[in-house]
Amino acid sequence: MDRTVRVTVYTLLVVASALTVVPLLYMVALSLQTEGETLSGEAVLLPESPQWGNYATLFEEAPFADFIVNSLVVAGGITLAHLLFDPLVGYVFAKFDFPFRNTLFAAILATLMIPLFVRMIPLYVMMSDLGWLDSYQALVTPFLMDGFGIFLMRQFIQPVPDDLIDAGRVDGASEFAIYRRIVLPQTKPALAVLGLFTFTFQWNEFLWPLVATSSEDMRTIPVGLTLFNQEHFTLWHLTAAGSVLMFVPTALILVFSQRYFVRGIALTGLK
Amino acid sequence: MPSKTTERAPAERPGRGPHRRGPFARGPFGRGPLTLRARRARTAYLFLAPALLFFAVFYYVPIADVVHTSLHTGPRADEFDGLGNYVDAFDDPAARNSFVVTLLFTVGTTVGAIVLGLGLALLVNRPLRGRALFRLALLVPYLTSVAVVGLLWRNILDPQLGILNRMLREFDLPTQQWLNTAPLTTLVVITLWQISGYTMILFLAGLQGIPEVYYEAAYLDGAGSRQRFWRITLPLLAPTTLFVAVMAVISGLQAFGQAYIITNGGPADSTDLYVFHLFNVAFRSRDFGYSSALSVLLLIVIMVFTALQMRAGRRREVRY
Repeated sequence: MDRTVRVTVYTLLVVASALTVVPLLYMVALSLQTEGETLSGEAVLLPESPQWGNYATLFEEAPFADFIVNSLVVAGGITLAHLLFDPLVGYVFAKFDFPFRNTLFAAILATLMIPLFVRMIPLYVMMSDLGWLDSYQALVTPFLMDGFGIFLMRQFIQPVPDDLIDAGRVDGASEFAIYRRIVLPQTKPALAVLGLFTFTFQWNEFLWPLVATSSEDMRTIPVGLTLFNQEHFTLWHLTAAGSVLMFVPTALILVFSQRYFVRGIALTGLK
Repeated sequence: MPSKTTERAPAERPGRGPHRRGPFARGPFGRGPLTLRARRARTAYLFLAPALLFFAVFYYVPIADVVHTSLHTGPRADEFDGLGNYVDAFDDPAARNSFVVTLLFTVGTTVGAIVLGLGLALLVNRPLRGRALFRLALLVPYLTSVAVVGLLWRNILDPQLGILNRMLREFDLPTQQWLNTAPLTTLVVITLWQISGYTMILFLAGLQGIPEVYYEAAYLDGAGSRQRFWRITLPLLAPTTLFVAVMAVISGLQAFGQAYIITNGGPADSTDLYVFHLFNVAFRSRDFGYSSALSVLLLIVIMVFTALQMRAGRRREVRY
């Protein structure tokens, strides 16, 4: 690359990155301002005295601790369920031969074409009939598995040599022990991708928790934060503080496992 | 057991384990081949049982239910009305408006996500120092919740207290009321801010899949960089572009949070995104019959779109 090209490319990349990062830094700055500063007409990028107390105030003004617990339980529970079920189902479709195998696999893959908005109304009615609305059951059960995770795990398990599995059979291991001790350890990289993806997207999920909860203390962070903002639309410093807290796990995951994310997204693009 | 169990799989079919061939084909424990196969099938179904139950209860029953409900009317959606809700949907100016709004939004986000994603991928694909850091910075918004993104941009764009207008005022430039003068465009731009890093990663994977030899050959033949882009990069990226387009269309048609959080559908329903409209009909007006019909209609649109894009893409595939 000659010099002018290099300078142009760097300039464009710096501008683009600044456009994505600066608004998020501004969110942090906002969370450290006083209420007056957020409402004044002057541009405050760096607050004169950072108001760390905003974070404590947030927990007094809204049941933010509940929001955090709810989000952790829901996103964590769903992630665990995916890690438990998706590889097992993927293994069966990769390595077993049984009647209706292809039909059943197609039926599971077809669920990828069924978006949440189609399921939303019947699921709401179902949860209402079960008396589960406004509970963890309603937030978790519709997302225990998904076609994408099963597909990903099947793709990953297919290249595991059959000889390895047969060796386990010859040694008299039970079918579940073969899965648990021989197959599952081979899938660690895929499990990491699956776990990180599932957690991040469930942590961010907005529509279903909004539909399925009604009491304030059952809300997850995105829903709790949005409704808090609607009720207290002048308390921008607190909304920003909540946004920063919501963003912390995402930031940690990104910094420590960017590799997995990039590889995982690339994987979803493969066909 | 259905008769399929008795069919023996052809031994040479790839992808099937060797355990049904070779010395142990008749079963290592003195059992016949049928018993072994049946036992394996039983294990398979045992492992699959929770998944089959799950997908039936949480996907297929709801689909049947939503179609059933869409044929009913009344406050409890229990009076049969045939296709009445569907006829209403086509006559309903509010539903038609929200469909048009959503189409415009989807076209904007899809075209934008392809152009920006490809542009960024071409930049990041160069051998640069610090490109992992750029990639990380550009990917961050995609992994941020639509709630955080929406609230942040609502604050930034606020006509009075938003930082953008404050800065314009500081430089004595005219201030703007983005969410009033160009609300839909503003939502498209915010959405592009969020998703372009994701499409960049998809294009990056596509670019890395193009063999270097094509570029070398083109270089030797005297092709300039512009020619190499239009004649090699773009045609060979077609499968990636198709995938990005399908993903962007599907998610654009389903956008919800932007309208709920940033504009509340306004001003004057100009950002009344379809799923937001559907959400309001279902959970604010409590009309489950009509909202079910609306959701079935969008599902049909999404499926037709996807099928058309796939077919168009298959015809245009390029090989060298």
